[in-house]
Amino acid sequence: MKLSEQYTRASIIIAVTVLIIGSIIYFFTINYIARTQLDNDLGEEIEEVTAYINTNHHLPKQLDFDEDITVFIKTNKIELPVRYFDTTYVNPKEDESQPGRAVSGLVSLGNQHYEVVITESREATEYLIQFISLITIGLMVVLVFILFLTNRFILNGLWKPFYKTLIEIKSFNISDDKNLELIDTKVDEFNELNTAVLTMSSNVKSDFQNLKQYTDNASHEMQTPLAVITSKLDMLIQDETLKPEQYGQINDIYAATNKLARLNQSLLLLVKIENNLIDDIDTFNLNTLVEDKIKQFNELITNKKIELEVNLSPKEITASKYLIDILLNNLLSNAIRHNVFGGKLIITLTEDQLAIKNNGPPQIMNTDTIFERFQKSNKSEGTGLGLAIVKNICSRYKWKICYSMDNELHIFHVDFS
Amino acid sequence: MKLLVIEDEQGLRENIMSYFNDGNVCESCATLADAIYKLSNYDYDCVLLDIGLPDGDGFAVLDFLKKNKKDEAVLIISARNSLDDKIRGLNIGADDYLTKPFHLSELKARVTSVYRRKTTNGNNMLVFNEINIDLPGRVVSIKGSPIVLTRKEYDMLLYFIANKGKVIAKNAIAEHLWGDEMDMHNNFDFIYTHVKNLRKKLLDADCKDYLKSVYGIGYKFLAE
Repeated sequence: MKLSEQYTRASIIIAVTVLIIGSIIYFFTINYIARTQLDNDLGEEIEEVTAYINTNHHLPKQLDFDEDITVFIKTNKIELPVRYFDTTYVNPKEDESQPGRAVSGLVSLGNQHYEVVITESREATEYLIQFISLITIGLMVVLVFILFLTNRFILNGLWKPFYKTLIEIKSFNISDDKNLELIDTKVDEFNELNTAVLTMSSNVKSDFQNLKQYTDNASHEMQTPLAVITSKLDMLIQDETLKPEQYGQINDIYAATNKLARLNQSLLLLVKIENNLIDDIDTFNLNTLVEDKIKQFNELITNKKIELEVNLSPKEITASKYLIDILLNNLLSNAIRHNVFGGKLIITLTEDQLAIKNNGPPQIMNTDTIFERFQKSNKSEGTGLGLAIVKNICSRYKWKICYSMDNELHIFHVDFS
Repeated sequence: MKLLVIEDEQGLRENIMSYFNDGNVCESCATLADAIYKLSNYDYDCVLLDIGLPDGDGFAVLDFLKKNKKDEAVLIISARNSLDDKIRGLNIGADDYLTKPFHLSELKARVTSVYRRKTTNGNNMLVFNEINIDLPGRVVSIKGSPIVLTRKEYDMLLYFIANKGKVIAKNAIAEHLWGDEMDMHNNFDFIYTHVKNLRKKLLDADCKDYLKSVYGIGYKFLAE
């Protein structure tokens, strides 16, 4: 949920709650005041009746006092406290009943005591209360509506620079040369945020440049001595007076140099993938690439008399062709190298996964560490980086790589989803 | 062929010089300034260019050649195995790009091929004694009669002829034929099979036996 939405929601809930509680209190207060007013009036009526009787020595006629209905009932009671109560008021002119308020008290004419009951219509008061309530509800609705609009438009406007910054940060590409374009705002907090983001991004970029430089330099510094060794060996073997044992030694040096060069290149490749230094994105058919790879490895496959089973459905992917080439190389060369003579190799490509199954050593490899660097079986002549590279390439494209074993087949599958 | 080797690593430079020193004129320099000086004063057939030079970027040499409309064939030898560099180099006039470390035989095969592409105008025939190779058609004839070679055998033959008279290590041949991405893991049986087949086909066509096995290390294609 957006911040402004959350804020609007909270403020409206609070406002409505306060308004409801307020209006309930308000309603009862108004009611109480109106009632007290009525009772005061009725009290005065009683006093007027008493005064009338004292002056005129007879009972007043009914309806003498305004619109009120006054009733006298003979009673033997000597004492009757003044009592106020709700009742029904029947308007004598229109002959309809309305809510009313009444007061009863005791008056005496000579020795005769009368209970006097004066009833007054409450309609006007009720009407007033209804009217006030309506206005209050109307005000409440308008207030909530205005609150909603204010929050929506003013708050959104206020947060605009923030969202602009957010978009810039989202599109931030570390290998891009262009800087973030952040707008100046009147809000101090946002300006501070922008400054912080700018500083951070330029720091990150310069670190990244350094790393790139380092990668290049490391590559250069190590590859050149390796090139010297290789070329020295190439020259050395031109001397045909060397003995086979010496050639054997040279072969070993060749192999070690070769391995070192591979190791170096693999390490540099890992660094490059981890830092997104390879970004030649292309859209191509993976099935065609797999077919080509199988052709490339054909000799190795036939040499080991491996039974090949290929099942490829068309699959288009968007990735670096260079990296996918390396991924397939590593997976296939493992599947062939660790295969047994006359073993099986099953390659399946579907819309969501690429699976490579092959025979090999009978026991399952450690599934936790198999994709880690320099985790390799003792017999393996590889660099120990092949699967780490595969894993990095997969995670680069948010694919999932899994290893399992089923029915003597080692299975590697890449999930594209 | 007149060759200029621009490489700052002395050991490598000397080795390249002595490997190419059979019928070729080789000159060398170690800095960008020297390279520019030499190129502005002399003409070469082919330039071997290291990108990382102590006094500057090797790409400057390519720019210089382009600006002065010189048509030396250029082969970049770089320690950087970077796609960007490769594309950049080839875009501004280099003819090939080789990443260190490499075998001298590979370098020679590439230089020969680049040089051949630059110099032959239409007549793309490679003649070595009785062996006649039509390069665009990829047809090999011995004493006028064509023989059928597989792709690998054909590549291998060209590679041997480019490196005639040199002992070539088996792993250099493997890298040439299968590329260095494909890890052959010192399994050189394949090479033996291919060499055996090639040799047999050549002998069957009444070709002289040029292919000599150098025990324990590799092969040699006789130069005479």
